[in-house]
Amino acid sequence: MEAATSAINSAAASRPAIHTTMREGRPAETAAPSDLKAKLKINKLNFYYGGFQAIKNVTMDIPERKVTAFIGPSGCGKSTLLRTFNRMYALYPDQRAEGEILMDGENLVTTKQDVSLIRAKIGMVFQKPTPFPMSIYDNIAFGVRLFESMSKREMDERVEWALGRAAIWNEVKDKLSQSGQSLSGGQQQRLCIARGIAIKPEVLLLDEPCSALDPISTAKVEELIHELKTDYTVVIVTHNMQQAARVSDFTAYMYLGELIEYDVTDTIFIKPKKAATEDYITGRFG
Amino acid sequence: MSAVLNAQSAIHSGNRLYRSRKQLNFVLLAVSSLALAFGLFWLVWILGTLLYEGGTALARATLYYQMTPPPGADGGLANAIVGSLLMVGAGTLIGTPVGILAGTYLAEYGHRGWLAGATRFLNDVLLSAPSIVMGLFVYSVYVAKVGHFSGWAGAIALALLVIPVVVRTTDDMLKLVPNTLREATMALGCPAWKMVISVTYRAARTGILTGILLAIARISGETAPLLFTALNNQFWSSNMNAPMANLPVVIFQFAMSPYEDWHRLAWGGAALITLAVLVLNILARALFRKSD
Amino acid sequence: MGNAEHISKQFEADLDTTRTRVLQMGGLVEAQILAAIQAFSTGDAALVTQVIENDARVNGYEVAIDGAINHIVVKRQPAASDLRLIMAISKIVTDLERIGDEAEKIARMSKRIHEQGAHPAQRFPAIRHAAQIAVKMLRQSLDSFARLDVNSAAEVLKEDTAIDDEFRSVLRQLITYMMEDPRTISASLETVWVAKAIERIGDHSKNIAEQVIYIVRGTDVRHTSFEDVERELSKE
Repeated sequence: MEAATSAINSAAASRPAIHTTMREGRPAETAAPSDLKAKLKINKLNFYYGGFQAIKNVTMDIPERKVTAFIGPSGCGKSTLLRTFNRMYALYPDQRAEGEILMDGENLVTTKQDVSLIRAKIGMVFQKPTPFPMSIYDNIAFGVRLFESMSKREMDERVEWALGRAAIWNEVKDKLSQSGQSLSGGQQQRLCIARGIAIKPEVLLLDEPCSALDPISTAKVEELIHELKTDYTVVIVTHNMQQAARVSDFTAYMYLGELIEYDVTDTIFIKPKKAATEDYITGRFG
Repeated sequence: MSAVLNAQSAIHSGNRLYRSRKQLNFVLLAVSSLALAFGLFWLVWILGTLLYEGGTALARATLYYQMTPPPGADGGLANAIVGSLLMVGAGTLIGTPVGILAGTYLAEYGHRGWLAGATRFLNDVLLSAPSIVMGLFVYSVYVAKVGHFSGWAGAIALALLVIPVVVRTTDDMLKLVPNTLREATMALGCPAWKMVISVTYRAARTGILTGILLAIARISGETAPLLFTALNNQFWSSNMNAPMANLPVVIFQFAMSPYEDWHRLAWGGAALITLAVLVLNILARALFRKSD
Repeated sequence: MGNAEHISKQFEADLDTTRTRVLQMGGLVEAQILAAIQAFSTGDAALVTQVIENDARVNGYEVAIDGAINHIVVKRQPAASDLRLIMAISKIVTDLERIGDEAEKIARMSKRIHEQGAHPAQRFPAIRHAAQIAVKMLRQSLDSFARLDVNSAAEVLKEDTAIDDEFRSVLRQLITYMMEDPRTISASLETVWVAKAIERIGDHSKNIAEQVIYIVRGTDVRHTSFEDVERELSKE
């Protein structure tokens, strides 16, 4: 009797506190983006299309060798933000950025460095597949030749490496001389990813890379994204929230040009801190 | 809601609006078919007459190796054919690069500048300017200055006709190249000039080529600009610095003459030009289709 | 948490229906406990049969709600508060079904106790008091679920200690009975099962309350001390 009572009491006393039990059996928790080494440090970034301000005072760190996803409704500035990272906006005279995007200490917004060099370091894949009007082989070799001169043999190796990395080598190895435009949409997109990584950039920007693809091709590209982060810092813009949840380590929610919330992907999708984020990802009226 | 659904549906074959629409459709179809038949009728007539009148001359080998004859003598159009080929060739060679480069500037570089806008406008004016204006212009600035008609003058006049056509097609075809392709090329760190040469030109290749072929087709039948520049030459001459025989002017001259055998040669020349233009058009079409 | 409605009216309706069904199931389970305790006190055989038969309805609710949850997950891929709500409902339903089983167990035990003749424990107030606390905990946990009220849910957690105390005092009394009159040992042991079932109902109600805190706060407070829960709830 006494023994029974004390057993009950001691069981109650030995209840562990919140933070001791929770870790065991759980996947390792991801550190917050601010705790990791940043590849891109964005500081008070503003962006304008002529008189229209598309990005408002965004400050965030994009961690190295992780996948960071941007979600938000159309026109929220997520694609625009992506395009500031490789100065794609510089092609259009009425677009301008203010603030800082630091990569390895260099401010990409104000740098005197040649824009071609920046873009070679920061690859980009677009919403619609954009194979060049040339052979599959040349599609890959084109970018490599811009910055490296190498023997035919080395180039062959590089092409095979890039196509292999993009998980498309087996599908195209027998038709490298065929036009890149003869491939299916999903293959074209993987070809474009291969072309992007062939020049060995440090950052890979993906602007809605799966929006024009069927589910199988989408799954292949997503699998690829997961593998790419061992070598590259990947930034992806997507309309598909489930995709962001599947592929990314960190998710940023943007709305009307502002960064509303930026956190570990699990946190954003299970327990977002801001009501606006919650409303967006649960499909409610804002 | 259900009251609306239960009301008798307006969608049935006896519906008045539906029937009047069908009748209107029938009437319009009949009218446009008649218009088509009307247009085709004249075209077929023209082609038929050309082949009927010019066919015999075309079939004679002398047409291709004998010179333009004096009235009453037997002869061919060899000097005129060669003169036309030389001037059209030279005109194309001068006009095409200028046209392509200008078109490239418009599509790739001068997106929004006032210069591009002005150039595009002036080019459109040139495109629709009567060809005789070109002839008169070259006459006044070149022929009158050097003091004699010449093949070069003709070539320049033809080149001036080629340029606006090529500028326009190059501009249009390059603008058809999706911007994402440009951005994708630039995203690899590619400089703009290299992007134009290795990516956008390739993407617009067949379109630009088609434009050139159409420009050639256009100038090979022009009479007015040659009348004031190359004039004519009844003898064989491959000297571009001297007056030069050419098909359109020969046709013009022979057809206006009272001589029956000259008439026959004029018909032969006309049929030859028409067939050449036809072949060029078919070629352009085939090229364009292949690229799709 | 988002107060606005979902853009998809169908989704909104599906969630509402599921939420309502959970509350209906809770209501049924509560009635089952009350009937079982009544049967325990009075030995009403008809009541016992009714509780046993009604347990099939409770089980039916569990299956139906689980089906609805699968449907929502497949169709909507819920996220954030919707995800937490769905996950929590899935667990709440299991707890409710277990409570239903406990009620059935009490009914069966009551039948056996009464078949063995009268037993003083039938009327002793400790069991009925414990049962009252258990029913109150269940009602409050369901109420906090309906209103998504974390403070009310936290009170349920506190209540659990009271029911544990009650259970121990019942045990003590039963031991006394058995020592006084060994003929009551058999009936007393059955009564221990009843007391244990009531204690389990308290535990399940506590689980439900913990899920309510998870829905609202996104914090998993299971297997933690009450002080930790209070500290968590005092944030913001």
